Amino acid sequence: MSATTRRRLLFGTAAAGAGLALTACTSNDTGDNAQVRTDTGGDNGNAAAGPKVIIGFSAPAADHGWIAAITNNAKAQAGAYSDVELRPVEAGSDAAAQRAALSTLIAQKPNVIVMLPHDGKELNATGLEAMRAGIPVINLDRAFPSAAAYRLQIKGDNYGMGLAAGQYIGEQLKAKGVSNPVIGEIPGIDSLELTQERTAGFNAALATFGFKVANRRPAEFTADSGQAAATSLLQALPKLDALWNHDDDQGIGVLAAIKQANRSEFFMVGGAGSKAAIDAIARDDSVLKATVTYSPSMASSAISLARLIGQGKGLSDLVELQVPKEITLASETITKDNASKYAKLGF
Amino acid sequence: MIAETALPKAPKYDDNLLRNLGLVGVLLVLVVIGIVTRPELYSDPSWVRDNILTILQQASAIGVVTVGMTFVIIGGGIDLSVGAIIALAGVWSTTLATQSYGAGGMIFTALVVGVAVGLVNGVLIAYGKLVPFIATLAMLVSARGLAAQISGKQTQVSANETINSLATAKPLGIPLLVWILALVVGAGWVLLNRTTFGRRTVAVGGNPEAARLAGINVKRHTVLLYVLSGLCCGIGAIMLTSQATSAQAAMANLYELDAIAAAIIGGTLLSGGRGTIVGALFGVLVFSTITNLFAINNLATEVQNMVKGGIIVAAVLLQQFRYRSFTNLLRRRNVGNNS
Amino acid sequence: MTAILRLSEVVKTFPGVRALDGVHLEVREGEVHCLLGQNGAGKSTLIKVLAGVHHADAGEILWQGEPFAPASPQAAMRAGIATIHQELDLVDDLSVAENVFLGHEPSRFGFTRRHGAAARTRTILTELGHPEIPPGRLTRDLPAAGKQIVSMARALSHDARLIVMDEPSAVLAHDEVANLFRIIRELTANGIAVVYISHRLAEIREIGDRVTVLKDGRTTAAGLPARTPTRELVGRMTGRAFEYVFPPREAKAGAAPLLEVCDLSRAGEFAGVSLTVRPGEIVGIAGLVGSGRSELLETIFGARVADRGTVTLDGRRITGVGQAVAHGMGMAPEERKSQALLLDEPVFKNMTLASFTGFARAGFTAAGRERAAARRTADNLELRPRDVDRPVRTLSGGNQQKVVVGRWLLGHTRLLLLDEPTRGVDVGARAELYQVVHDLAADGVGVLLVSSEVPEVLGLADRVLVMREGRLIHEAPAGELDEDTVLDLVMAGSLMEGEAA
Repeated sequence: MSATTRRRLLFGTAAAGAGLALTACTSNDTGDNAQVRTDTGGDNGNAAAGPKVIIGFSAPAADHGWIAAITNNAKAQAGAYSDVELRPVEAGSDAAAQRAALSTLIAQKPNVIVMLPHDGKELNATGLEAMRAGIPVINLDRAFPSAAAYRLQIKGDNYGMGLAAGQYIGEQLKAKGVSNPVIGEIPGIDSLELTQERTAGFNAALATFGFKVANRRPAEFTADSGQAAATSLLQALPKLDALWNHDDDQGIGVLAAIKQANRSEFFMVGGAGSKAAIDAIARDDSVLKATVTYSPSMASSAISLARLIGQGKGLSDLVELQVPKEITLASETITKDNASKYAKLGF
Repeated sequence: MIAETALPKAPKYDDNLLRNLGLVGVLLVLVVIGIVTRPELYSDPSWVRDNILTILQQASAIGVVTVGMTFVIIGGGIDLSVGAIIALAGVWSTTLATQSYGAGGMIFTALVVGVAVGLVNGVLIAYGKLVPFIATLAMLVSARGLAAQISGKQTQVSANETINSLATAKPLGIPLLVWILALVVGAGWVLLNRTTFGRRTVAVGGNPEAARLAGINVKRHTVLLYVLSGLCCGIGAIMLTSQATSAQAAMANLYELDAIAAAIIGGTLLSGGRGTIVGALFGVLVFSTITNLFAINNLATEVQNMVKGGIIVAAVLLQQFRYRSFTNLLRRRNVGNNS
Repeated sequence: MTAILRLSEVVKTFPGVRALDGVHLEVREGEVHCLLGQNGAGKSTLIKVLAGVHHADAGEILWQGEPFAPASPQAAMRAGIATIHQELDLVDDLSVAENVFLGHEPSRFGFTRRHGAAARTRTILTELGHPEIPPGRLTRDLPAAGKQIVSMARALSHDARLIVMDEPSAVLAHDEVANLFRIIRELTANGIAVVYISHRLAEIREIGDRVTVLKDGRTTAAGLPARTPTRELVGRMTGRAFEYVFPPREAKAGAAPLLEVCDLSRAGEFAGVSLTVRPGEIVGIAGLVGSGRSELLETIFGARVADRGTVTLDGRRITGVGQAVAHGMGMAPEERKSQALLLDEPVFKNMTLASFTGFARAGFTAAGRERAAARRTADNLELRPRDVDRPVRTLSGGNQQKVVVGRWLLGHTRLLLLDEPTRGVDVGARAELYQVVHDLAADGVGVLLVSSEVPEVLGLADRVLVMREGRLIHEAPAGELDEDTVLDLVMAGSLMEGEAA
């Protein structure tokens, strides 16, 4: 049992963006829906091929759609550059296995290492080891406690997700002129830090409108737990104005519960930005009206930035000659109006 | 003759009846707490009716699984793999290939997968002489692994409207899933109390050596018990899949613990040989009602888990001190009346 | 001599049973006080009250003149009352010394002092006449008699003033009983009192000073001299007057064998066993514990797989229990509680355990018909109480055994295997069981009986087989043997050489 719990902790973030794929979806395929971008237009010198950069890459074995998307995105992005060679290493199933794999990788002296650690604290020493060996480390999503253990950290914004969801709900309700709205919240696994950050952001945004959450039933990032949580919540709130569900994957169950309860008097905001959720928003045929992103596209960006670091270049729009040390992605709000733009970013 | 008049009559009250009444009492207390804390909800009769049906519906899938679990525990075993079997059966029945056979194919697949996994469990335990705890723990891990393999770690959405409508259908105003629960509980009760299968279950769990020396095929019966549990999981998988309109490898998380806990507070001895289906049903309903009570009061689920744990401990303590305190009290009063 | 223990009007009730209902007992310093009573008379409860396991509900207990109500077994031990229980309560995986000092290990600053314990254990074992038992040996490795000595050493390690022994001779061989009696005499010579419980009247005569008789939780005779005639003692216990009473019977065995066992062997247990049982015949096997007799019975029944040899019932090969039962074989195993009974289930379900499928229709059980059939059988067996809905746990040992035998009476059994059918069964119930066995034989049922009580085998069986170290060494009609001859064979096999030549 503890193994399961532990896994859940480690992959909590991953689960947050778990692939909501129709059964037809084969998202392990690195083809059509990977998030790739190389800015080749204009006089951008960064796009031109430079010295060859060898990038070592390590992410936990994909046992979730979001992690699978991370690895796929990294591979696809590396493939788009002629001057990048990606060396992925299996990170195994736990932190110890990942440490061992990374030691081997460090010995091979790649130019840059990009890694999504099983756990930031447990891989901190390995980050330091690589940095001391002169290899810049790019940390994806799960921060190292020691600033000396990484050259660049790129991560999503859990607090920002909550903020965006709260902002959207507040604006919509205000526009409708609802004075004392009943708002529900269905978070993922409640004991995770990322869940608490999302909830904190959500409450903060609602507070600016003078609103607060009337009922909160946590699920477990799975569809069946989402269904159970939503059923309880709907039973507790006979009338509802808005609902934020943290995760589009458990959202499948949440939407099923709403249908089973025959309820439609409210609107719902999702989280993570799955393809199915984006499609549903575009179709506008359910209570789901928006979703706030936590995108695995960060892996693609990490490879691009690793290339620049390896070649000693900075971001061309910035004045600084080097890539910054920390990048936090903004959580974006996808609605019917911009869904088409985000369709290819859904995973 | 001697002694006959000197020995007192066996106690006439029924332990099981007492305990079930106790659980009904707990349920009533929970409802009263609900009425006191949320009078405005309980003042609406249609909400109350909906709420009862919601509680029953939320108890349905886990209730079906608990019936199978109760049989296994009475038979002297334990099945830690029920949640994993549901996941495997759910995932297998929602692959694109299976879905192409329609609702019948999906239901058939879920039931066959459940029975097959149960069969493997049973054979490993009865003939491979593995300890049930270890065998089903191994199955828990590997069945979830296989489910993850088959689904490619994706959430598999059920596109079959018939399956999905199982969770919305309400024959005679009562959800179909609740009818299924009632049917399984009824069948389980008859099976345990009125058939040779049930008698063998009690014998095999109560004293396997005595059962064997009375000519009962203990090994074959052990296999059948795990097959029964697997079958219940197959049914549960369909119910859960229709509710979530999808299946995935992580579904039915920790169902094994909920099912064991419900069976135990329903009066099933973990050492085997004794237990009741009705008690197990009440156990599930108590948990489901607690969930509902916490939801309507917007209380944190951590506290809910603590209350659940407390109820399990209280139930087991009650079981242990049954003779010493509670019934002894009754007994003493009897003696007092006699003298 | 002064009384060190005095009980008056002691009462103890359990749900469903008034186990003690006015017990009087007076034990003097340095005497062996025997406690007699049928199973269910309250002896075990009484012992547990003295040992601090149970607490009396009413009545007075004076220990060395002071009111005595031990809160726990430890408290009773500290007060000087040690108990050697029937089921020896030793921890198999601890060493001898650890068992002797379990719960009161010599220690300093919380660390046990192993050497001190070992040395003291050795001293005590030597006092007990068993210096050969190594204090460091795992208790599991000791024979039953050795374990009993360890139990006794534990009692002595507490400097007990009173030692309660619950059927200490049940697991002992002849010479071991003699040693036990020697130890008891030494103890009493030092002023230690012994409360001795046994079903064997001969032992009571040999070692006992006075006797107290219990019946249905009441004292029916207190402090009788041990020489009191058997007739009177049995009368006090049961209201009847006999010890071993074997009903007269005429053997009229059929000609064709019902059971044929041919060259049956199991490595390390028994070898080359051949025997027959004819319909209506009672065949007895005499042998010591460990002679392979129980294993032989279980193998004949199909519960163990033979290495070699065959078992046929009416010409049909028997290879498994299910088949044996289906063809009309039944067995009452040695360990009633662990091998035969569902203790929490009612009497009737225990009786129909081997036949409920026969009562059932289309897989549905017929509790009504089962109950009626069980009631008839209970009447035949004079089961007490005659309540077939009572959990078996609440019955006395003798009545539990009747339930096990009754199981096979219900099932159209043609061959009944009985393994120690009267172990722990009181005198009254014994006689009734003997009658049942005779009635069965009269109805043409074949009976194969194993017992370590030689008079029982001689009195009950038509034909006697003597078993020793896994082999049948002698066979004769019961009438041609006497107890001494059989004992000689069982112990030494002296006739074997003579006859084999």
